[in-house]
Amino acid sequence: MARAPGQSSIQLMSRPSRLVMLAGLFLALAVFLVFGIVPALANVVISLTDYSGLAGASTSFTGLSNYVTLFTTQWPGLVGSLGDSLYFVVGVTVVQNAVGLALAHRLAGTGRTAALLRITAFLPIVLGVTVVGIVWLLIFDPQSGPAQSVLGHLGIHSAFFGSGSMAMPLTILIQVWQNLGFTMVVFIGGLKAIPAEIFEASDIDGASGWRRFRSVTWPLLAPVVSVNIAFALIGSLTTYNLIYILTDGQFGTNTLGILAFNTAFGNTADLGLGAAMSTFLLFLAIIVALPAVALLQRRERRLLT
Amino acid sequence: VSITSTPTTHRVSPPTAPVSQRSRPRRPRRTWRITTGILIALLFVIPVAYALMISFEPQSHFLKNPLTPSAPTFADYSAAWTQGDLGPQILNTILYSFAASAISVALSLLVAFPLARKLVRGAGLIYRTFVIGVCIPLPIIPLFIEAQDLGLYNNRFGYVLLHVEPGLPLGVILLTAFVMSVPAELDEAAFLEGCGYLRYMVRIVAPMAWPSIVIAFLYSLLAVWNDIIGPVVFLADPSLFPVTRGVYNFYGANAGAYTILAAAVVIVSLPVVALFIASQRQLLRASVVASR
Repeated sequence: MARAPGQSSIQLMSRPSRLVMLAGLFLALAVFLVFGIVPALANVVISLTDYSGLAGASTSFTGLSNYVTLFTTQWPGLVGSLGDSLYFVVGVTVVQNAVGLALAHRLAGTGRTAALLRITAFLPIVLGVTVVGIVWLLIFDPQSGPAQSVLGHLGIHSAFFGSGSMAMPLTILIQVWQNLGFTMVVFIGGLKAIPAEIFEASDIDGASGWRRFRSVTWPLLAPVVSVNIAFALIGSLTTYNLIYILTDGQFGTNTLGILAFNTAFGNTADLGLGAAMSTFLLFLAIIVALPAVALLQRRERRLLT
Repeated sequence: VSITSTPTTHRVSPPTAPVSQRSRPRRPRRTWRITTGILIALLFVIPVAYALMISFEPQSHFLKNPLTPSAPTFADYSAAWTQGDLGPQILNTILYSFAASAISVALSLLVAFPLARKLVRGAGLIYRTFVIGVCIPLPIIPLFIEAQDLGLYNNRFGYVLLHVEPGLPLGVILLTAFVMSVPAELDEAAFLEGCGYLRYMVRIVAPMAWPSIVIAFLYSLLAVWNDIIGPVVFLADPSLFPVTRGVYNFYGANAGAYTILAAAVVIVSLPVVALFIASQRQLLRASVVASR
């Protein structure tokens, strides 16, 4: 089966070599299938059962009953969760791209300082969500943390992550802080791809500062803007690991991702309903991502041709 | 807002921007750059530096005065080390992340070569499936059930195996791109000389692909190292916990012991930060490559 026309390398391989190559490929594809594709599809199947994951409990096929539960009994909670998700997605996508672009613009240079600062911006990614989350929980500790100490001098008190109004904005900012390095580096890649002559030309034309950014840099950045916005949209819609550390979905941060996780692995241990929520979330991600990507590509064509 | 007109005007307008005119706004611009540079450094360093600062303070000092440092003490570090059981957890994390990432990259190369050379039918389709795999969130609920059914739940081997797949898509994409840049004549020459496939991969392709391999390895390593959901879902026995779950549990059990907690956070971060500093060049270049 393994012969494609016009390719000679495989014909030059010895028979054992060919077998080893195919064995290696199949082994790797088996891992991809078993731990990647099968579970991705299994989510749908599990969502049609009452699987609890508890030892001894029997599992039966329950049809769409998890979805009925999700859209009837769970409905008020689901609407609240959708609202939290919308808040989180919009907040993260806007702030991460705006700040990421500003950072990239400042740090795209070749100097030593810029290089050092780029490394610094990667620090939160290296430290990971657990360490980052705990450090910020320390800083915003409502009793003895430094943030409270500063605000206390101004006579303000906040419960921070324990406050219904503050928890979400703080979570968004920390999610952004955590991932700014990636966004920045992608933007820097885009900035470096713009030919220097174009900047020189606009310099001579007298367009500098904000005007040059608005009419030269921003349109030419369209492809990386698309990449960053698409990643931020899908990423923030489906992520929940930082929220798990910071609030575990309490105080108005109960996005769909953390809700599905807690439904499956929290006290309810309802894997079937959790899978239904995950499937719904994946469906949402697709219906958000497809038009967004189409729109971004249309924007690229409009700006670059 | 026409961009295409800009290069054209370049040719039309005389290139006579006097040096004196351009150098005049230098000083405010320099101040601006210094200010923004310091602000950026503070933005990323302050939270980390703060945790570092209080990790050298006695708890009593922190509670009275959370904003200023005290005379440094190492008491928090010895307390964190003994109470937090950090040594075994760090070893677990190193084992999990290095093993899973090494297997992941090796498998990626075994997929990348036949795909890049289109030696199997459906190579394009397989490649596209891996590309989609980059964007799909990890299906944690089915993986949990699979882990239990396949005997991979709550053991080291299973934990490593469960963390191999997430590294594959990026590895396959990076290495396929690399192999495509290697002329096929090289394979032909090697195979004509009677070089076996695995020998060719290990002795010739892997050394040439080393930069891509390092990038794929580091990205996988960071993902496994910092995973918190995996240890919560796939592990139950505390002796198997990696640092993420260990520190998280430590936080839950000692939420009031701020300075010891900060010391624990610093200890578990040291190895990965050291690794990062040693390899930051590849990492930063990698995310540019990955974004394409």
